Amino acid sequence: MAVNELLAQLHEVAASPKKQLDKYLKEGKKVVAVTPVYTPQEIIHSMGLVPMGVWGADMEINEAKKYYPAFICSIMQTVLELGIKGEYEGVSAIVIPSLCDSLKTLGQNWKYAVKDIPFIPMTYPQNRKPAYGIKFTKAGYERVIRDLEVATGAHFSEFALAESNKIYNEHNAVMREFAEIAAEAEITAVQRSDVFKSAWFMLPEEHTAIVRKLNEELKNGPKAEGKLKVLVTGILADSPNLLKTFDENGIKIVADDVAHESRQYRTDVPDMENPVDALAQKFADMDNCTLLYDRDKKRVDYIIEQAKKHDAKGVIVLMTKFCDPEEFDYVPIKRACDAAGLMHLNIEVDRQMVNYEQAHTMIQAFKEMF
Amino acid sequence: MGEEVKKSRPAPDPNSAKFKLGQIAAKAYSDAMEAKARGEMVGWCASNFPVEIPETLGLYVCYPENQAAGIAARGGGERMCNISEGEGYSNDICAYARISLAYMKAKEAPEQNMPLPDFVLCCNNICNCMIKWYENIAKELDIPMIMIDIPFNPDYEVSDAEVEYIKAQFWDAIHQLEEYTGKKWSDERFKEVMEISGRSSRAWIEAASQAKYVPSPFNGFDLLNHMAVMVTARGKAEAAEAMETLLKEYKENHEKGVSTFRAEEKYRIMFEGIACWPWLRVTSTGLKSRGINMVTTIYADAFGYIYEDFDGMCRAYANVPNAMNLEHARDKRIKLCRDNSVEGVLVHTNRSCKLWSGFMPEMSRQIGEACGIPVASFDGDQADPRNFSEAQYDTRVQGLMEIMEANKGGN
Repeated sequence: MAVNELLAQLHEVAASPKKQLDKYLKEGKKVVAVTPVYTPQEIIHSMGLVPMGVWGADMEINEAKKYYPAFICSIMQTVLELGIKGEYEGVSAIVIPSLCDSLKTLGQNWKYAVKDIPFIPMTYPQNRKPAYGIKFTKAGYERVIRDLEVATGAHFSEFALAESNKIYNEHNAVMREFAEIAAEAEITAVQRSDVFKSAWFMLPEEHTAIVRKLNEELKNGPKAEGKLKVLVTGILADSPNLLKTFDENGIKIVADDVAHESRQYRTDVPDMENPVDALAQKFADMDNCTLLYDRDKKRVDYIIEQAKKHDAKGVIVLMTKFCDPEEFDYVPIKRACDAAGLMHLNIEVDRQMVNYEQAHTMIQAFKEMF
Repeated sequence: MGEEVKKSRPAPDPNSAKFKLGQIAAKAYSDAMEAKARGEMVGWCASNFPVEIPETLGLYVCYPENQAAGIAARGGGERMCNISEGEGYSNDICAYARISLAYMKAKEAPEQNMPLPDFVLCCNNICNCMIKWYENIAKELDIPMIMIDIPFNPDYEVSDAEVEYIKAQFWDAIHQLEEYTGKKWSDERFKEVMEISGRSSRAWIEAASQAKYVPSPFNGFDLLNHMAVMVTARGKAEAAEAMETLLKEYKENHEKGVSTFRAEEKYRIMFEGIACWPWLRVTSTGLKSRGINMVTTIYADAFGYIYEDFDGMCRAYANVPNAMNLEHARDKRIKLCRDNSVEGVLVHTNRSCKLWSGFMPEMSRQIGEACGIPVASFDGDQADPRNFSEAQYDTRVQGLMEIMEANKGGN
């Protein structure tokens, strides 16, 4: 299949998650919603359930205002809004971790705002690396398993989890490969986003199969020339209106540190005897994320390293409005970019943005600085 | 004669709880300053970090949240916020954090100075924002960060798995501090500190519970001031003694039929959320002028820790208001409303606190329904004066008062 056909297929999925939900439900599968930023999708998958990502949508907020004050991030607000409006009808449960303060409140509001979709909490430890932290992660997973069994009637088996862990590792590898190939290939920012976004609405084995083909095609296809190379960081980078501006200004994303994109695929489940232990170890091994305790701000060093490795000339921070963890990290990122001689730009983004003029002007001005 | 005649205030009674508590709060800062000057290590400590740990080890610590509240209450909030915003910190970030990060840079604030830290003690049972704030301090000053993670509990009770996780971290923190500071843990000393902290907490909670009497023997805003001692010194003997004095005074007030609420107590409310420190006088006067006494707040209870042993301490620190699920948090507040004959709830929708404000609309609805009382909210901020409107506050309080009045069978 040609590149454009593969990309069109992924675009279709990225643009219409509801269709995907209906498709899986029609196939007799049960779907479990997973919210940002990390959830044990491997467990859900291993139980024969389809994990589908819910990261909100670019839309106006009405109903969620009954639950949230205006200064909570629009990802949480729109996830709740969509839940209240019945967009997730048919979903068997929602797994919400408590990795930031707003996520903690999403779970609590969900119980009352969307009563027909059970809330399953996933409590991750911040001290995730010591043995006691790994044990606590495992206790969290065991709780998710119990709750999923109750909500869906599905059963858990270690054998099936070991298989799912492998499937997820394969998906990780293919997504990492895609990110590298996309850094060179002639592919737009919008198309790149479609590849990452569609992953949230498909079974990983299905997505792996398509992206693997896409990688082969892109590897052999034309390379992007004469573009301004940047690294993009943030929680989300899926707004077509914003990404079009990148393309219009000849800005090429050569690497990302986006929670919705590459942060998901950096760490594999290690090969261990017990697959639940292995999955808990995976969480312990995860780093370089604003939501995971990081005394040394390794994330900042990682951004600089990745930017240099990919020959990026600048770092664009897409700052999700009211995301305080990311706002705290912005200052060290800015300073590190200055020290490394990398230009940087901070654009505040919001699920409720309708006017992109200011962002367009900022991106244009950024381009002109080179 | 055009000269202004100032009213002279009577000299404070050195045996009064108010005087003693004020002295303790001030001494916590001066002790830390003196320790730093002597070359001893000083830490910055999160308000809900297990204070028993530094106290048992004999470490001097200061509390940035308390400092930020003090700076904000004395008018320095906006100036300090501007400094950190100038560094690139968003004005959406918690104003306590912005003030603290500004202090790290400016190294002084006339409203409340304290020594810069040699280590930071972080505990996120109050919010995850603490983690990022302390990460930035630890990284920038290149000092150790002791991190105790007490996750938000989605269940009503604290699980054994969580207690085990917290306990392991407490010991890890103790060992890290022993290694870094050279101080040694003593079980004997811990037992003493635990007993003192328990004494302070029992007296504090009982003092706050004297609002069960109608009229209340105190103005609830007193609690907001005295709470500083519970934050900074609950493990010190002088704090326990001062809290017992406070309890005695409140009991005496009740017996004598007097109160520190200097108006006729017409209505009794629960105040929800952190105080609006930059507008403390305005928010207090707006209530008092209408005869509304804020008789209770979960915020005061938050700093009372009662437990019997080390495991109990782990569980107690997991059972703080901001780490509880909605149902548990709601039921505690319903109990406060019922125990204290509360007639209305005033909610501070605090721009700085996403966790506290993020499920407050639903929780306060449930509290109002369960108790059959009205709920009103106003927008404000714990330390940034720019996020408050006096006119909105006044309108909301007036509305609340009118419903409370109607509920009494008035007009």
